[in-house]
Amino acid sequence: MDFLSALVNGISMGAIYGLIALGLTLIFGIMKIINFAHGALLMLSMMIAYWIWKFSGINPYILILIVSPLMFGFGYLSERFFIKPVLDRQKDVREPIAVLLLTAALAMVFENLALMIFGADYVMAKTTVTDATIVLGGVTLSAARFYALILALVISSAFFLFLQYTELGRKLRACGQDRNTALLMGINVPQTYAIAFGIGTALLAVAAIVLLPFYYVHPTVGNVFMTKAFIVVVLGGLGSVPGALLGGIIIGLIESIGAQYMTATLTTAIVYLVFLLVLFIKPSGLFGSKFEW
Amino acid sequence: MDVVQKKKIGLTVVILAIALIVPLFVTKPYYLHVITMCLLWAFLASSWNIFCGFAGQLSLGHGIFTAIGAYVTVILFNEFGISPWIGMFAGGAAAVILSTIIGYPTFKLRGAYYALATVAIVSGAVVLLENTMSIGPLHVGGAEGLIVKLMGNAPAHFQFMSKVPYYYIALTMVVIIVVFSFWLKNSRLGFYLSALKEDEDAAAALGINVRNAKLTAAAYSAFFTAIGGVFYAMLIRYLEPLAICGPLMSNEMVFLAVVGGSGTVLGPVIGGISLHAVSEIIQFYFSDLAQGFHLFVYGLIVVFVIMFKPLGIIEVVQKYYNRFLGTSDQKEDESSGRHSSGS
Repeated sequence: MDFLSALVNGISMGAIYGLIALGLTLIFGIMKIINFAHGALLMLSMMIAYWIWKFSGINPYILILIVSPLMFGFGYLSERFFIKPVLDRQKDVREPIAVLLLTAALAMVFENLALMIFGADYVMAKTTVTDATIVLGGVTLSAARFYALILALVISSAFFLFLQYTELGRKLRACGQDRNTALLMGINVPQTYAIAFGIGTALLAVAAIVLLPFYYVHPTVGNVFMTKAFIVVVLGGLGSVPGALLGGIIIGLIESIGAQYMTATLTTAIVYLVFLLVLFIKPSGLFGSKFEW
Repeated sequence: MDVVQKKKIGLTVVILAIALIVPLFVTKPYYLHVITMCLLWAFLASSWNIFCGFAGQLSLGHGIFTAIGAYVTVILFNEFGISPWIGMFAGGAAAVILSTIIGYPTFKLRGAYYALATVAIVSGAVVLLENTMSIGPLHVGGAEGLIVKLMGNAPAHFQFMSKVPYYYIALTMVVIIVVFSFWLKNSRLGFYLSALKEDEDAAAALGINVRNAKLTAAAYSAFFTAIGGVFYAMLIRYLEPLAICGPLMSNEMVFLAVVGGSGTVLGPVIGGISLHAVSEIIQFYFSDLAQGFHLFVYGLIVVFVIMFKPLGIIEVVQKYYNRFLGTSDQKEDESSGRHSSGS
């Protein structure tokens, strides 16, 4: 792989990281919760999409229309049943740590639920897209990654516009800025929280589906992506939508270009190092506001 | 008051006596191994609690301390023949140094950011350990893991053929950590920690050197966690990066402490023993049912405790303990810490 294709591959993988981080950053930005169940929810989305694909044979990309609403409902209900009671109790706490632990425990529940139902096998949705390639200005790129890049860019932009210009988007942002003031303005904050968690989970479902044609699914697949999503989100600034996408692409590029010159281990170590440096030097990240942390 | 005092001492003696004669009744090595592991987890959860529970910091990366303690001790033993009884202090010292190095930059981070930093550090440590076959002439083992050199029955080298000595060592460790936790909680440092747990800025405004208090508590915590790692290494006799350092190790300490009641003296001990026992029992009886079932139940227990018993199981235990003493339920003094140990 020459430099140019490493560049393109890095950008496409990075866009997927960004897409995964989008849900995480949304949930943090609005609810101030670091969602440790994010990886597990990604895995659940991949599993569900895989099994629907397996039994129905529907093109995975069309499955977005089925799996996203499904995961929205799942996220919405999870927030209502598990997170809300704990969050209510910690209303006046600046950093709801109990909620963070709760999500970590939920991750364990989801992961092992998937293990019980689906088993520990590595599975992948091998479709016509899997082995197809696209030649783009002299660079050969796997079709699945190309579609992933396009979808990630489209969904992120759409999501950004949704947050900026719709009524619901404004409500979400208002809750993120100050939940008490938002409440005084007549916004149903608890419901908005549940919607935020639902949207975050639905965004994950999109990421899950673009990964499906070229990435193996197994019950712990989420862990790999979750740690990266944390890094991406902190790099871009917790709570920032453009930051998530840009952070994702930066991490993707470090990985793919780094792999050209050194071992994968060293690259991974460098990614962690970059993360720690950002955390120590500028915890608000590239786009985060200074006063958030 | 006299009666209450007598009851407290009596209960402590009874619990300790029961703990001491357990190996007489539990003769199957497997069962004794499970009980020993329960004690080890109680110890590790308490070690985590010393810093994270008392000071309200969420470290999800304490696995790095079990790892450094275990690796330093085992490498010293394998390469130079230094007995783990001595090597464990070197491991503990290495953990203290590491905790200080990590502490300087991370302690200015708050809440979620601190938790994320610890996750990144421990994930990086796993990657590095998995890919280091040797440091100079020292064999580290990489992802294959590191086998502790077998000596047969060698008490001087922390190796026993029977499970009984391990049980008593683990029991001693738990007693030590409970006494230490009790002392720390009622020391000046303990008060500093609970002050900065409530509000760091207010604590600093009162003249508490927040950073030094955190660094000292973290050093104690790292030391004991490392000792726990050494015990784990000597019991299992095999070190594998993911098992000793990975998210399961790091997270389990936290879960056990929180389920028991983080920030209390006895909570993590109760949580460590009971929750780990439940998990082992489920695994033993229901492992055929479905893969992952015991961890599923384990996760659910943690979820429900966080939801419905935010202060941990200790809340319930405290109620019965007060009833036993005949003191009123409202009287939330630190009496739970006054009688040491538990099993």
